[in-house]
Amino acid sequence: MSDSPANPKRPEERSFNRSAEPANSASDESLLDRVRMLDHAAMAALFSRYAGMVYSVALRVLKDSGSAEDVMQEVFIQVWQSPQVFVSHRGSLGAWLLVVTRNRAVDVLRRRRPSDSVDEVVLASRQDIALEAERRTMMEKVRTALDKLSPEQQQSIEMAFFEGLSHSEIAEQTGEPLGTIKTRIRSALISVRRAFQS
Amino acid sequence: MTGNAHIPEETMALYALQVLERDESAAVRAHLAGCADCRAELARAQGDLALVALSAHPQLLPAGAEERFLERIGARQKNSGERLFSMTRTKRARVWPAWLAAAAMLLVAIGLSAKVLVLRRELNETYLQLAEVTVESRHAHEVLDLLTAPQAQHVLLTTNKMPPAPTARAVYLSSRGALVMEASNLKPLPVSKTYELWVIPASGAAPIAAGLFQPDATGSASVVMPDIPWYVPAKAFGITIENAGGSTTPTAPVILAGLAPAPGD
Repeated sequence: MSDSPANPKRPEERSFNRSAEPANSASDESLLDRVRMLDHAAMAALFSRYAGMVYSVALRVLKDSGSAEDVMQEVFIQVWQSPQVFVSHRGSLGAWLLVVTRNRAVDVLRRRRPSDSVDEVVLASRQDIALEAERRTMMEKVRTALDKLSPEQQQSIEMAFFEGLSHSEIAEQTGEPLGTIKTRIRSALISVRRAFQS
Repeated sequence: MTGNAHIPEETMALYALQVLERDESAAVRAHLAGCADCRAELARAQGDLALVALSAHPQLLPAGAEERFLERIGARQKNSGERLFSMTRTKRARVWPAWLAAAAMLLVAIGLSAKVLVLRRELNETYLQLAEVTVESRHAHEVLDLLTAPQAQHVLLTTNKMPPAPTARAVYLSSRGALVMEASNLKPLPVSKTYELWVIPASGAAPIAAGLFQPDATGSASVVMPDIPWYVPAKAFGITIENAGGSTTPTAPVILAGLAPAPGD
């Protein structure tokens, strides 16, 4: 039952809970390694760790619990079926899941085909949001940074990020020039980034 | 965006958000294929987006969502198990003692699995209870935050009639999409009608439906934390009478209305 090439049993025929490392305290990388071996307990641990966060983002975009759960299930099924798509150089798993979920939710909202492949999502962020306490701290920090934006910046980032509107659609709805909208979105994102650099 | 010129940061932010028009997006994609600097900038922009996503309020998973997911991935294990079992059956005639041992182990495994299921169910119930308490506590905190936030807008909605004139008071925090409205002295409505609260955006956009409500026997009613968009600065608030089930646009007359002061006033 070793993992050697001589092992007569294929990975999916081996037992699921042999790891010495408890799933709840294991690192994301360790859990993903086990998911590659079709370890259900490891996948359940990743789901338990991130499902609430992923669902919250999907619900925030779609405002419908059924559609939000569909997106959440799709994202985690993708991790289960293709765990190799996420590799550590893409950033932290939690942050990667957030961006992939937001993109998928916006695709659903806008009734369009998936606009990119998830393996194109690469993040420079190394923020670890695996732990609930760290996640809450970061959440408060982000909200504080967003609260400090001007109402116009807040509205632009809301429309672009959570509603998936193009800059020309935002310009049309707000009556502002295209360039102004571009600058507002960019400066809003920079403000959020700086909140974590200071 | 071709040649040596790097992609402007503003355009890169829009590309990361996937809100560029199709032709612009194609041009950026083509440039990225050959420019490591711009790929690094894109990764930074994606990192920024992950932070913005974190601002979404934590929500409790729908009941049974975890079980539904585990069933979906468990189906593969079941199929594998069936394959394994059928392989064992073909060897039954030659190695029956091994078959007996396997059967005994299977019985033990079934017993253990049942025990694990019971324990897991108890654990899930405990988690659910804890999550419900957490959500209730968070909701109470959000209401308290709204009522005490210095930036919150306090609006009194009145008619021109003297007492017992209906009145309503709204407290609104656009940056959190948070709204609490309390009304009193409202007239009862027939069952075919309902009161509806509206947020009138300062941008001039269409009014946003913010909740249906009926007064109690004393004429009091409230709307607490309705599901409305965030970051919509309000010009005013209004209450209309609509057909039961509500409306997507307010129907005249607006029976109660109030202008929103500047945030914090």
